[in-house]
Amino acid sequence: MQTTPAIKIKNLSKTYRGSDVPAVDSLSLTVPAGDIFGLLGPNGAGKTTVIHILCGLQSFDSGDVLVCNHSLRTQLNEVKRLIGVVPQDIALYPSLTAFENLKVFGGVWGMKGTALTERINELLTFFGLENSKHRYIRTFSGGMKRRINLIAGLLHRPQILFLDEPTVGVDVQSKNLIIDNLKAIHREGCTIVYTSHYMEEAEMLCTSIAFIDEGKLIAAGAPEALIAQSANCSSLEALYLQLTGKKLRD
Amino acid sequence: MPMTPLKSLIYKDSLLLIRDKAGLCMMFLMPMLLVVIMAYLQDSAFNVMQETRIPLLLINNDHDSLGIAIERQMEASGIFAISREIEGKTVDKNEMVQAVASGDFMIGVVIPENATRNIRKNVKRYVTGVFNGQNITPAVDSVQVDIFIDPVAKSSFLQTLMSAMREYAVRTESDFLFKEISAEVEKISPMPMTGIQLSRNQVRFREQYAMPDSRRTIPNSTQHNIPAWSMFAIFFITISLSGNMIKEREDGSFTRLRTMPCPHYLYISGKVAVYLFVCLLQFTAIFLMGIYLFPLLGLSTLTLGAQPLLLLPVGICSALAAISYGVTIGKLATSHQQAAIFASISVVIMAATGGIWIPVFAMPEAIQWVSHISPLNWGLEGFYDVILRGGSLRNILPECAASLAFAVLCLWVANQKTHESI
Repeated sequence: MQTTPAIKIKNLSKTYRGSDVPAVDSLSLTVPAGDIFGLLGPNGAGKTTVIHILCGLQSFDSGDVLVCNHSLRTQLNEVKRLIGVVPQDIALYPSLTAFENLKVFGGVWGMKGTALTERINELLTFFGLENSKHRYIRTFSGGMKRRINLIAGLLHRPQILFLDEPTVGVDVQSKNLIIDNLKAIHREGCTIVYTSHYMEEAEMLCTSIAFIDEGKLIAAGAPEALIAQSANCSSLEALYLQLTGKKLRD
Repeated sequence: MPMTPLKSLIYKDSLLLIRDKAGLCMMFLMPMLLVVIMAYLQDSAFNVMQETRIPLLLINNDHDSLGIAIERQMEASGIFAISREIEGKTVDKNEMVQAVASGDFMIGVVIPENATRNIRKNVKRYVTGVFNGQNITPAVDSVQVDIFIDPVAKSSFLQTLMSAMREYAVRTESDFLFKEISAEVEKISPMPMTGIQLSRNQVRFREQYAMPDSRRTIPNSTQHNIPAWSMFAIFFITISLSGNMIKEREDGSFTRLRTMPCPHYLYISGKVAVYLFVCLLQFTAIFLMGIYLFPLLGLSTLTLGAQPLLLLPVGICSALAAISYGVTIGKLATSHQQAAIFASISVVIMAATGGIWIPVFAMPEAIQWVSHISPLNWGLEGFYDVILRGGSLRNILPECAASLAFAVLCLWVANQKTHESI
């Protein structure tokens, strides 16, 4: 039985105002439901633009995008109800406590009362932050902020979770906890779309990946299969360098 | 409108506001302080002519009836502290000019030599001429009293001062002329004239405020100052509001909200609800201060007019105009500094053109036109309608409608900007 893909992108193009070069150029790819999908590429490859388009933060010029069979162009609100977003930058209110932040975001999702409080407490315990829930975010360490940032995207049990560099700037302990918890969330049936520069982490976490560069798709598939297909590559990082080159990207 | 998301946004904005101690201080303490200080200053400016004695240097070269009469009239007025010499020495005209120019005296008056003699000579010639049926021109046109004024004196103050001086001069002149004419006429007429006692106040002016009903509020500086400075203070929430929006953008929480099913109108509604409540609290606090605190500080008590409930729609509409303006600045500005500078300067301009500092009728014609498009002027006029003019709902409707239209326009601009950025 063929399942509906979580995301289906067809000929997606986007050029920013004032630029001649497209940020995304006729990109087509499919994210199977239930995968941990890694969107990989060098700086300026178009990863964040694609994620922003999929989250409704950015408009696009042409192409079609279906998220759980809902058109991004015409059913954006329905799409937003199905997704959770963990932005690259910490997107929290520093002068509110962890609990207050989560209560606000849960409330905007339409959650309320005991159900919301229980969900917040469950996720805080899951991410080892139950003792810090009444502390202001501004007093949190970088790793703690990353974890709360992640919880805020998970509150409403999304079908698809977008993670933009979720482990940037955190210590090894926090990073391991985040990776383990993401695997656990994935096991519960959540599709995860993930961008990162850490190839080792992507190789360990992702069930499928896509390499993009200059807004175009270069390769897509399961990491092991892609490594096996290439001649001289024994790791995802080697494959990445082979596909994108060693030239610096600014 | 989905209530749970809206309630959460209101909860969030309330917490952000409560935790922002500097912002709260700016929104409550500073406006209250501003209102008290400005009311005090304006009240003392109104009273300065009565309570403060203006230093005046007098040179009386006449030493006769007219000079003495002018001196007496000035002393009797009680508004001048008259000096006739500097450091025990009499001064000439040039020394007087220097003393006034250096700020030692606000005003200098020189009564010329032979002033009385020249006037008497004129009067005698007139009277004799009239009784003999001759048309006689005066020997000396008039007596010129020189007045020197400190260049630092503000023109508004100067106008008031000069009108007082003119009043005293005219009074002295008429008294003196009447006396002199009577004396001359008595010399040639068998009828005694010196016994005639004419009352000075043959024409009396009765001042009353034009108000439609009999329940009159006597306008005073408090009635003018409280609405004016309240409007000014309320518009300063634009700084806090726009700053709050930029902070949300900078710390990424606004981006998160945009990824959620949270329409832009809901996000704005949360802010409008919280800041409207804040504005109404500000109005209430400032008006209560006018009623209860001002009398304790020796200022006039604020009275709210015949229909005080009408202050509420005026307050709400003005607050909505201020909030929407803040939202627009928050959307258009790209940094905290930009928002703070633009908001404060634009509010000061709108206040200046809106009649907060000086009445609109006293402004140049072009600025008067501009004042009619200042939201601060609409709010101020609405408050004056209720408090001073005894106006009804019909009277405040145009101002309320204008404020609401301004609010809608601002929100439309903000909405356009939001769509542009997606």
